[in-house]
Amino acid sequence: MRPMTIAGLAVLGLLIVLPFGLKGYGIYILSLWIVYSIAAMGLNLTLGYAGQVSLAQAAFLGIGAYTTALLMKAGYPFFVGFGLSAGICFGVGLILGYPALRVQHHFLAFVTLGFNALVWLVFRNEEWLTGGTYGLMGFSRPSFFGVSTNNPVVFYFFSLALFLLLAFVLWWIVRSPWGRAFQALRENPIRANSLGVDVRRMTLLAFAIGSAYGGMAGSLFAPLVEFIDPQSFMLDTSLMLLLMVIVGGSGHFFGPILGALLVILLPEWLRFTEGLYLIIYASLVIVLLAVCPSGLLGLYERTAAAVRARSSDRRESAGGSAP
Amino acid sequence: MKFSKVAVAAAVGAAMIAGSAQAQSVKIGNVVELTGGGATVGNNWKNAVVMAFEEINAAGGILGKTVELTNYDTQTNAQNSRAMVQKALDDGSYVILGPIYSSSTKVNMILTQRAEIPQIVGSEAPFITTSGNPYVFRTSFGAAQSMPKLAAYLKDGVKASSVGVIWVNDDFGKGGRDTVITELKKRGISIAVDLSTEVGQADFASDVIKLKNSGSDAVFAYLHEEESARLLKEIKKQGLRQPIVGETTLMNQKVIDLAGDAANGAKGHVGLSADAPVPAVRAFAKKFEAKYGNKPDHNGIKGYVAAYTVKYVTEKMGKFDSKAFARTLHGLTISPKDEPGILMEVTWDDKGDVDRQSFLVEVVGGKQKIIEVLPKLGN
Repeated sequence: MRPMTIAGLAVLGLLIVLPFGLKGYGIYILSLWIVYSIAAMGLNLTLGYAGQVSLAQAAFLGIGAYTTALLMKAGYPFFVGFGLSAGICFGVGLILGYPALRVQHHFLAFVTLGFNALVWLVFRNEEWLTGGTYGLMGFSRPSFFGVSTNNPVVFYFFSLALFLLLAFVLWWIVRSPWGRAFQALRENPIRANSLGVDVRRMTLLAFAIGSAYGGMAGSLFAPLVEFIDPQSFMLDTSLMLLLMVIVGGSGHFFGPILGALLVILLPEWLRFTEGLYLIIYASLVIVLLAVCPSGLLGLYERTAAAVRARSSDRRESAGGSAP
Repeated sequence: MKFSKVAVAAAVGAAMIAGSAQAQSVKIGNVVELTGGGATVGNNWKNAVVMAFEEINAAGGILGKTVELTNYDTQTNAQNSRAMVQKALDDGSYVILGPIYSSSTKVNMILTQRAEIPQIVGSEAPFITTSGNPYVFRTSFGAAQSMPKLAAYLKDGVKASSVGVIWVNDDFGKGGRDTVITELKKRGISIAVDLSTEVGQADFASDVIKLKNSGSDAVFAYLHEEESARLLKEIKKQGLRQPIVGETTLMNQKVIDLAGDAANGAKGHVGLSADAPVPAVRAFAKKFEAKYGNKPDHNGIKGYVAAYTVKYVTEKMGKFDSKAFARTLHGLTISPKDEPGILMEVTWDDKGDVDRQSFLVEVVGGKQKIIEVLPKLGN
C-alpha cells in the first residue's frame, strides 16, 4: 500500500473513533468542520483549480441552508432539500457566472462580493419567506430508516458519510478531463484555449459545481445548527471560506479540508490564552501566508522536495567519491 | 504486587481529592460577548459577574461551595455562541449566564432547554420569552414590557402626535421597533417615518435628513450603543429640533461617553441605570468603578443581579438542582431585604420576564438625570 493510502485510512479511522471520546461541544465543532470543509472544497474547485476568486460562497451556503430549512419546515424529507439546494446553487452559479466570468481575478471578486451582499439583503428583507432578521427555526434534524440524527454522534456520522461521498465525487471530477481542463486554464488560459479547451464554458462549469458544493454544505448547516439567520451568511463567512482554501493550500485536494480544520480549531485551541487568542490567531495566519503563500500543503510539498533534493545530492556526492 | 497496591492507593487518593474538590465548588458558565461588536456590553456584564462571584466566594460561597466561574467568548457571533453554550454545558455548568445579544440567545437557548439547565440572559428581544422555553430568564425588561411605558411617555410626557422611528435592523432593533409601533398606534400616535439602519453603520447623515424633513414631533431611536452615539452626533451636527427619545441604550453611559455633548437632551425610559436614585445601585456602581476604572452601564447591573439571583435561588432551595432552580425562579420575587445583591426588588413571571421599578431619564451635562420613577407593572 502507498504511504498516502495508509495515511488516508488512518485519518478516516481517527474520524470514526474520535466522536466517542468527545463531549457535545467537540462533536459539534467536528461536524461544523465537516460542513465548512464541503463548502471550502467547492470554493477550491473555483479558486484552486480554475483560478477564479469568488467571494460569494457564503451566499451559496445560505441559499442551500434556507432552501433545506424551508422545505423541511414544509414537511419534505431532507434529501429533497439537499438535492434542490445543489440544483438551485448550480443554476444560480451558472446565471451569476455567465456575465460575471467576463471579468477575472479581483474584478470577479468584486462582482461576487456584490452578489453576496445582495443575497444577504434578500434573506434579511424578504420576511414573508425567510423570516427576516428573526431567522428560521423549528425544523428538526432528519431521520433515516427510523434512526433520528438528533443525537449529535449520529448527525456527525451522517455528515461524515455525505462528506466522504462529495469528496469522492470531487476527486473524480478533478481527475476527469474536466479537472485537467480546469487546471490548464488556471495555469495558462491562452494556451488552454489554443489546445481546444473552451475557457468560458469550463470556468463557468467549475464555478457552478463549486457553488453547488456551497449549497450542499448549507443544506447540512441548517439541521446542524437547527437555526438559521442572515447573519451567518454575510461577507465575513465568504472571507473565512476563502481563508480556509488559501491557508490549507489552494489547488491541493486536501488543502481546504486542512484549512477548515485550522480555521475552526485553532481559535479553540488558543482559547486558553483568553484575551489574546484572536491576536495570536491572526498573527499566525499572517506569518503562515507571508512565509508560504501556497498554504500548508504548499509548505509541506516544498519541504518534502527540499528533503528529497538534499538526499539525492548526498547520494550523488557519495557515489562520486567512490573509487 | 507492591507496585499495584501503591498505584491503587494513589488512584483512590487522587479520586478522593478530586471528589472533595468537586464537592467544594460549583461550576457556572458565563457565555458572553467579550470580543467583536458586542464587546462593550459583554465586558460590562462579565466584569460585574466576576465581581459578584468574588464577593459571594469571599462571603463563603453558595451553600458552602465556592463558585468556579468560567467565561466563554461568543465573539458576538451567534454560531459561536451556540458552540460556547454547548461547551459550558459539557463542562458541567449548574446555571448558564448570558449572552446579551438576542440573536445569539435565540440560537443557543435551545441547548440549555434540552439540557434542562437554567439560562439567565441579558437579551431584550420579545421572542426570547414568548417561545415557551421554561429555562430562560431575563435580567431586564423585554421590549414587550418597556415599550408600553415608553409609548405612554411619548404621548403624555412629550405630547407627540407623530413620531419618526429609527432602528437597527437586527433581532434586537426589529423586535423593539415592531413593539413600539404597535404601542404608539394604540395610543393614536402616527409614524411619520420608519427608518431601518445597519449594525455597525457609520454614516447617519441621510437618515437624519429624513428625520428632519419628516415633520414629526419627536424621534424614537432604538440602536446599539456605538451606533446611537454616531446618530446623536449627526443629529447635533444637523441641528435637529425634535426631542430625541430612546429606550435604555440611547441613554447608556457608553453612548454618553462616546457622543459627548451631543448626548445631552436625549431622554427616554431606562429599566436599569447606574444613576438610579437607589442607594444599593449607586453603591454597586461605586464599587464597580473603583475596581475597573469605568462606570457600569445597565448590562453591568444585569450581570450583577444575575449572579446574585443564582445565589439567592440556590440558598432558598437549599440544594444544587438545575431543574428545580428554573421551577423556583418562575413567579419568584426577590427583595433587597432578603438579598442585598439583587439591588432592586424584582419579580419573574411564569415566562421568565422580569418586573421591577424603572425610570424616565434625561441626559443633562453628560449624566443621566432621573425625571420620574415608574412603579412595577404588577403594582
